[in-house]
Amino acid sequence: MAFLKVDNVSIKGISACVPPSVEENKDIPFYAPGEAEQIIAATGIERRHIAGPDICVSDLCFGAAERLLEELGWEKDSIDLLALCTQNPDYRNQPTSFLVHERLGLNESVMCLDFFHGCPGWVMSLSSVSSMLSASGLKRALLLVGDTVSKDQNQASHESRPLFGDACTATALEFDPAAPAMLFNNGTMSDGGKALIITQGGYRHPYTHETLDIEIARRNGTLSVRQTDDMDGMDVFSFAITKVPKALKKLCTEFSLDIEEVDCLILHQANKLIVDAIAKRLKMPANKVPVGLRQFGNTASASIPLTIVSECADAYRSGKQKSLVCGFGTGLSWGSAYIETNHIVVPEVVIYQS
Amino acid sequence: MNEFIANFADQFEDTDSSEITAATEFKNLDEWSSLIALSVIAMVDEEYDVTLKGDDIRGSVTVGDLFNIVKSRA
Repeated sequence: MAFLKVDNVSIKGISACVPPSVEENKDIPFYAPGEAEQIIAATGIERRHIAGPDICVSDLCFGAAERLLEELGWEKDSIDLLALCTQNPDYRNQPTSFLVHERLGLNESVMCLDFFHGCPGWVMSLSSVSSMLSASGLKRALLLVGDTVSKDQNQASHESRPLFGDACTATALEFDPAAPAMLFNNGTMSDGGKALIITQGGYRHPYTHETLDIEIARRNGTLSVRQTDDMDGMDVFSFAITKVPKALKKLCTEFSLDIEEVDCLILHQANKLIVDAIAKRLKMPANKVPVGLRQFGNTASASIPLTIVSECADAYRSGKQKSLVCGFGTGLSWGSAYIETNHIVVPEVVIYQS
Repeated sequence: MNEFIANFADQFEDTDSSEITAATEFKNLDEWSSLIALSVIAMVDEEYDVTLKGDDIRGSVTVGDLFNIVKSRA
């Protein structure tokens, strides 16, 4: 069982950075009258920040990291580990953390490490990086997590285009013997993975002229019929509303946590239907379940830290917070955690400027 | 069966519940949509503790077909 108890590590700050361009769901051209409003009501998503061709994950991660380091007052020389988790790397064979390392002007003694994961990515990489700090003698780590997931969507799809937005985040972690333990329960349902797979363009199915043409048409929004199927929305929905409550309940049971004592439940912001269904099954009152979908949509691996920054900054800045979180999706898999923070640095959401 | 049909009909707003029977080909209802499909999945999880997948919905034609899947797994 992947239960992790990580001692002596605390989160010191969280920041988020989004691209400046915004797409309003009510302005998406292909909807019939009234359809966009119906989708906005069901998903909770009114608009999304879109990276466009010129902005990549390394840019948004740099924006989030630079602001966080500034507000923390951390010297660049004090960072030992720069980790980055994304499914949308700038390049195929260069880990994106190296690009951010160079742009931040970090020194040669920093260890850079990329993780490849989707929506559960923040919790998965947080459990890994915090374990490294706890066990290795490393003192400070910067964990950068986010995606430009809008770039992967079929622009003609009535179902997926209104959901996805782009964002990256930075989380500052420090070895701290006074820190309460971070607790994790991570899990895997790999036989459901086909519900969220993009089959073409990797090394199993490299693009051919034909499949590349289809891919370009998807991204341009000129694919008239949906010829590629990269998300089974119904499978993902039933996975999320059944596995996520169970994972969080198991986490609470394993570590004797009282779910009523947590200050907030921050779920991966898939869409409002999913967030509401999970909260209902855990009997969490709506005021303890922040939702940041309206302005940002589903931002994949960035969504949990982005929601902390956009919806709960004051609470995290001003005192102790007991948070239950769960990222879920890609894999299929889930990463759930209980984290206590105390007066952390949370800058306003950064709008990226190139 | 009648209870299942009533629960199924509850997921619709504009469709009269008297229109829905075991023989109803639900994907032909005007109001049927991907959003209603999700609320049916949520209802079945909540009321019957059964997990429906996308293939179950796609493979079913009538409300009775869905009921039989739920019954076989409950």
